[in-house]
Amino acid sequence: MKSKIILIILLFISFSGFSQYQGTIQDTDKEPLIGVKVAISGTNVGTISDLEGKYVLNANKGDTLIYEYFGYESQKIVAADKLIIDVILYESDYYVEEVVVMGYDVKNLTEISSAVTVVSEEDLFDVATNDIGTMLQGKVSGVQVVNSSGQPGSGAQIRIRGVSTIKPGNDEPLYVVDGIIGGSFDPNDVESITVLKDAGATGMYGARANKGVLIVTTKSAKSGDAVFNFKTNFGYKIANHGNLKMMSSEEFYNTSSELYRDYDTHQIDLIKFYQFYPQELKTKNFNWVNETFKPSFIQNYYLSASGGTDKSRYYMSASYFDDGGTFMNTSYKRLNFRLNQISKISPKFSITNNLNISGSKGTYYDYMSMYYSYLSVPWDNAYDADGNPVFVDGTNHDWWSRDKINPIHSIQNSDYNSKGGGISYDLKFEYKFSDLISFNSNSRIGFNTDKTHNFVSPAAAGTYFDKGYINEIQSLWYGGITTNMLMIKKSFNNHDIRGLIGVEGENGFYEDLSVEGKNLPAGFDVPSVASSELKIGGNNSEGISTSLISQVNYNYYKKYFLTASYRIDKSSNFPPEHRVAKFPSISASWMINRESFFNGSKAVSLLKLRASWGITGDPDIGANRYMGLFNLSSQYNANSVATPFQLQNYGLTWEKTYQTNIGLDANLFNRVSLSVDAYNNITKDLLVLVAQPLSQGFEFRWENQGQVTNKGIELAMDITFIQKQKLNWSFNFSGAYNKNTLSGFDAPIYRNLSGITQVYENDVDIYTFMLPKWLGVDEQTGAPLWEKFETDENGNIINREPTSNYADADPQKVGKALPDFQGGFGTEISYGRFTLSSSFAYQYGNKIYNFTRMGMDHDGHEPYYNYMQPKDDWVRWEKPGDAATHPSMQNNALSNQISSRFLEDGSFIKIRNIMLSYNVPLKNFAKNKIKALTLSLSADNLKSFTNYWGQDPEAALTQGDWAMPGVSDFKYPNSTQFIFNLDIKF
Amino acid sequence: MKNFIKYFILVLILSVGFQSCNFDFYPTDQMSSGSISDSPDGIRNVTNGNYALFKDGAEFNGFVDLNNCYLRQYFQLSDFSSDDVVCGQITEDPFFYSFTYTHSPAQSNTKFFWYMSYKIISGANTVIEILNLKDHLSDEEKQLLGENYFLRAIAHFNLLKFFAKPYTHSDPNTNLGVIIRESTSEDGQKARASVKECYDFIETDLKTAADLMNNPRGVEFASKEAAWALLSRLYLYKEDHDNTILYADRVINSGKFSLETVNSYPSLFPNAQAASEPIFLIALTSSDNRGKFGSIASMYYSDGNSGWGEEFASPTLQELMANHTEDIRWSYIDTLFAEDGVTQSKKNGLYVYWITKFSFQDGDPNLSSPVLLRFSEMYLNKAEAYAKQNNPTEAFNNINEIRRNRGLEGALITEVPAGKTLLDIVLDERRIELAFEGHRTTDLFRNKRNVERTYWGYHLPGITIADINLATDPSGYSNLIINWDSPRNVYYIPVDEILANNLCVQNP
Repeated sequence: MKSKIILIILLFISFSGFSQYQGTIQDTDKEPLIGVKVAISGTNVGTISDLEGKYVLNANKGDTLIYEYFGYESQKIVAADKLIIDVILYESDYYVEEVVVMGYDVKNLTEISSAVTVVSEEDLFDVATNDIGTMLQGKVSGVQVVNSSGQPGSGAQIRIRGVSTIKPGNDEPLYVVDGIIGGSFDPNDVESITVLKDAGATGMYGARANKGVLIVTTKSAKSGDAVFNFKTNFGYKIANHGNLKMMSSEEFYNTSSELYRDYDTHQIDLIKFYQFYPQELKTKNFNWVNETFKPSFIQNYYLSASGGTDKSRYYMSASYFDDGGTFMNTSYKRLNFRLNQISKISPKFSITNNLNISGSKGTYYDYMSMYYSYLSVPWDNAYDADGNPVFVDGTNHDWWSRDKINPIHSIQNSDYNSKGGGISYDLKFEYKFSDLISFNSNSRIGFNTDKTHNFVSPAAAGTYFDKGYINEIQSLWYGGITTNMLMIKKSFNNHDIRGLIGVEGENGFYEDLSVEGKNLPAGFDVPSVASSELKIGGNNSEGISTSLISQVNYNYYKKYFLTASYRIDKSSNFPPEHRVAKFPSISASWMINRESFFNGSKAVSLLKLRASWGITGDPDIGANRYMGLFNLSSQYNANSVATPFQLQNYGLTWEKTYQTNIGLDANLFNRVSLSVDAYNNITKDLLVLVAQPLSQGFEFRWENQGQVTNKGIELAMDITFIQKQKLNWSFNFSGAYNKNTLSGFDAPIYRNLSGITQVYENDVDIYTFMLPKWLGVDEQTGAPLWEKFETDENGNIINREPTSNYADADPQKVGKALPDFQGGFGTEISYGRFTLSSSFAYQYGNKIYNFTRMGMDHDGHEPYYNYMQPKDDWVRWEKPGDAATHPSMQNNALSNQISSRFLEDGSFIKIRNIMLSYNVPLKNFAKNKIKALTLSLSADNLKSFTNYWGQDPEAALTQGDWAMPGVSDFKYPNSTQFIFNLDIKF
Repeated sequence: MKNFIKYFILVLILSVGFQSCNFDFYPTDQMSSGSISDSPDGIRNVTNGNYALFKDGAEFNGFVDLNNCYLRQYFQLSDFSSDDVVCGQITEDPFFYSFTYTHSPAQSNTKFFWYMSYKIISGANTVIEILNLKDHLSDEEKQLLGENYFLRAIAHFNLLKFFAKPYTHSDPNTNLGVIIRESTSEDGQKARASVKECYDFIETDLKTAADLMNNPRGVEFASKEAAWALLSRLYLYKEDHDNTILYADRVINSGKFSLETVNSYPSLFPNAQAASEPIFLIALTSSDNRGKFGSIASMYYSDGNSGWGEEFASPTLQELMANHTEDIRWSYIDTLFAEDGVTQSKKNGLYVYWITKFSFQDGDPNLSSPVLLRFSEMYLNKAEAYAKQNNPTEAFNNINEIRRNRGLEGALITEVPAGKTLLDIVLDERRIELAFEGHRTTDLFRNKRNVERTYWGYHLPGITIADINLATDPSGYSNLIINWDSPRNVYYIPVDEILANNLCVQNP
């Protein structure tokens, strides 16, 4: 560690001299080429040629300069003594351009006829995180990323082109790592991410592709001398509570006096108030939030080496991520090792070995501790005179907070942690029989284990006092997948044909084991020492799927492109008659700018029209959903029991999405690149838990019913405003509009969480809230008002009127959880070696149910819970005639019950990141050893601009136990981070 | 081309290999419904499962809410709307609506109770259908079949208690009862039967059950006597006095039960499985302890940490018992004192009187095996039937049988005191004896008596601690008296049923 610090210090003081290289860039017709990118290899130092094709670049002797221009073959020239380097670029015959990893194969960018976005390594890393989803936020049009929890180690939620399913469970896109479905990786190792958005691209993943596909490519082995890369970012993070601030002692005191406002005289009865609330309370002011949330440290280190010979190359890396949470006793640490190695046994035969090993450890929190840390009353002090947390239980009479719990004492006397580890190993063979045919075999075996440990000490007040509690769960997943393909390639007379046919099989096993017990001796926290109420649990499951895959790619003159794929999947999740499903897709594109009528136009260097159609599926309903089942997991009087669990449905079949996409890609003046897509995705035969009459003894049955249509438009744009030798200014924007509609339901389906209802029915958006509508406060009585209506015999509403009786209020559709419009934008200005960049994310048109505010804006219903600080325009009713937003505390019946009062606009614009970086010029001292050095400072998640009155408005979109999309419930707050970054290549 | 063919064949072989894999997986901790009749202990496991459903939580409306448990809802839905329990705190838990009578079709506790009742019925129907297909039943199979008839009957009977008007309210032929489910394969869409039809169905099931059950498995399971005891209660509710007495006597004469004595009564509830009074109870073991968040006791009692302790024994119940401090039934009401041991403790402005009928099995404050049918009820059923037949002697005899065993040998009842009726005396005894056991509200309403709660508590709408003045009775609050024929004496049918079953009519 010490030597590392010295090295860094030396680097700071050692930069200086470099040479100025310049020249002119022309094409073969001696025409100057404008906007050619000239860069020093391995760094992000570079420039752009001006209107006369001239460039100037400061570089060190020995640096490799790279000249790149769209449609031309790029060149590399090593900087030598000669300071003038004129360059001629040759128009590319086979357009040298980005290759895009598509999963089963690799395509040139021009060849792609579907909606695909590539995010490369340099664009990924801005916000300091260990989560790839967080990195993607606002960067890809049509991809919604929600950071719904600031819990260290938690991942963001990703939704591609809206939501196409209504069943609870996994809504995340499919990850494909290094060409094989599934797998694990560390974000530090990522070279690029390809986001597949339409069926033209995802069709190859057939049954699994409904939620889109993320193709993750880890850094590949490169031949040559060993190159090392060390990166670190570290800094401070502080909890960002958004608009949620709790009241101070005095504010709480004054608000509490409202409880004593006489309903008839409209005056506060101070004598009575002081009797119950002595004035000296105001002198006690314990800030619970500040005491439980503290600034913490976040750090990430990464070291990699790559190199090798033509025969054998390697890439290896180690990374360590440590996120100290802002909430007491929470943290996350992750260690990852990767080895990617490729051996060319012969010109025809190569073998690739990729190995990833990871381990993590996180400490978590009990929901109630966070709940109490916000709601505890400032007159209670968590600590005694010696600074130790005080023990509080139901017998305490001098503790104000309602449930008589000291959350800090609870936190310090409990432990919730989780450890995980996994190994994933890929083995790939490629054998080229001839130029025509090759055989590829890609296989992976993986193994993951997790252990969670939940412990409450006997010293903790509450339900486990004097007993203690321990619960441990260990789970094991292992499985393998193999894909074997024949690849065919043939070109003749301007026709190119490539194709593949193959089979894929996957088998996964999951086993878990849990133990629980109480009555532990003080100071011990393993299951063995528990002496009563011992419980064990555990079960196993297995899933299997096999697939046949095929694809044909064809182009003519590299102007007209066609891709067709066909996949057949078989899954054990469905009844025998419906296990097999077929997934065709077809896509085509036209490179208009390559037509003769476009010849010579330098203004438009790319104009491509794309169209695709295809079917994808979603089998993620879990195993055995079609069977009639009895549970064996309980007991009665120590006898084994079977209880009715699930109704059978042998007609259950796949949920499929029929996707159509039209898109246009353009590049104008080499300054503006533009990509527009419009899509219409219809998901049919939704796998739905259809409500049964409860009187059958079953709540639901799995059925196929209804459909969801997602229609949308996406725009992605990059504009370079200024392209000078020293000064560059660019701007990027992505935006996506999505309209979601449900149809084809026999009857509305309601989902309910803690009384909050969402309805799935014809002609509404998915995740539509159905709640009593809040109409404010009755000016005369100060009572809360909701809306009730009368309906005629056809169910049409014929009259609406306010009511102060909550039971009379009629639930109605009051908003939806998914945004209409969302995306991101960013701008980057570089001057010399300095670069200042910023990125923003936004969404518009969604509603969030502010469950947190229900607890904190409670109108006196919970006199011993603190209140949140009011919004500027909140007014409490005091006397008849008051136009108030908040009811009288004396006439507030059920005002804090579930209603649209707490459903708020979730639109926001968020400053994701601002970063200033400096590319350090290297002095002779370091020159031979250090190839590049970049330093930067960044601030993450600085502020969200929003009307939402609570924690930041990124509400979870998951469905499941304790989770409903668009409901925000005392989440772990996200953090604002201030980070220092260092990146050295040597 | 040769290679191509060679590898195409390889691919085909691989593909055939995959297609022939076994795709039939069964869960490792669940049993498919088809295999129940094949499995040697399938029938027994499903029967035992039907008992487990009384005490277990389950995922419902998308998640497992620890508050949800058949027994917890059973006792709270009845006693929290009675005059035996005072509400000590406003809460978000829907049991609060029982105190305030502000019910809603969407409240989760009635929903869950309804759902679990019918799950028990579905489980019972599964066994009944399988066994009724068999030509010959073993003794054990007969017992199990009888138990399932009993379970189907008690589940329907308890549903009527909450979702239908009492039999005595006019007119049981037209008043809506609940949906009768007698088969696992019937259409989901089904209308509610009348109260009378429900009673007839339950009566038939119980008689069938009593005939079949000849191999008793203990008070943790249904028995011939349990069926008789429930029949006695059913006839009491129907005001069929002769049958009430007939079936109560069958239980009494079975010789299997006896009244607890003054000495043994305090351990009846903590140690119910070994006690002499329980006829049928739901057995909980230590692993069934639902703790602070889900036990019945946690609302009634707390040792400081064990429970919420938010509901107390009511002032009017205590007034009724006040003349007899020697009554051993006081042992389930526990006054809370401050540390000095003299000053009575208040919570939210009210004196705290813990209720301990659901505590202290194995010494645990949250654990008990709730008793659903108890021997002393047989005497009380008889007393009420005799009272209604205007036979005070027999009514007194039956009441005094209980009082003798409760420390009231010196206070036997021989005449009706001034200002009271014979039925008052019987119902007062029933109130004290069966307090907190889920009887009181039903006993009042079926006898067309009001619930009177003119005492301080959070059942009063809009009340805050500042309003409480224990020196005077509360006045001017809207729900001090709940009339016996108020529509809110019946809970709403859960909205989920109404939405999914078009034939099911909502309660007014």
